[in-house]
Amino acid sequence: MMQAMRTHDPSDLGEPSFRTEPTHSEDGVDLTLIHWMLSLSYEERLLVLQSNLRSLRGLGVASTRE
Amino acid sequence: MPAPESDFLGVLATFSQHGVEFIIVGGVCGVLHGAPISTFDLDVVHARTPENVERLLRALEELQATVRGPGGSGRTPGRSHLLSASHQLLLTRCGPLDLLGAIGRDRDYARLLSRSQVIRVRPDLSVRVLDLDALIEVKAETARDQDLAVLAILKRTLEERSRR
Repeated sequence: MMQAMRTHDPSDLGEPSFRTEPTHSEDGVDLTLIHWMLSLSYEERLLVLQSNLRSLRGLGVASTRE
Repeated sequence: MPAPESDFLGVLATFSQHGVEFIIVGGVCGVLHGAPISTFDLDVVHARTPENVERLLRALEELQATVRGPGGSGRTPGRSHLLSASHQLLLTRCGPLDLLGAIGRDRDYARLLSRSQVIRVRPDLSVRVLDLDALIEVKAETARDQDLAVLAILKRTLEERSRR
């Protein structure tokens, strides 16, 4: 029988919690991704986008080979 | 023929080398402002003066641009198309490129200029992008499903930027 997975807050385990502010806005937008993107230079932001597209393309190639 | 990889920096560098006047809008504009969104094409609004269209044609030749989609596949964009307010959907050796004569409610290059800024992407490459608040306005005006899908992310990005 599958047991329900129990999740722990790091502080339960004596580990420091890293959550000092909400990770998502009320409408569900991931704020951590926005903060990360804002920490990058303009060129790095474009390279992230190009890298994502390359990865998606790679996934497409992989799925057609299966 | 294999599909070309998207190389947004390659298109922008080519435009810059040819002195093309343009404003980056759309998803790439959102990404440059820090929005974690994805897009497959580069959308730009170009200045529709005869001089700029000549520069643009030279840049498009270097990029091996052809019209994308049914009916136009393989054609090269013409001068009269680029002088009009219509949208030219192209495929270049650096990936898909959309040249937009105007966006939203008849917003052309001249009207968007005051709502844009020049950013330095690399030491050798500066480009003009639409302001984030203006991009949000245009997306809301256009209100296609694909525009509305990213609106919340763009608005949150604007908020987070203003907090910094």
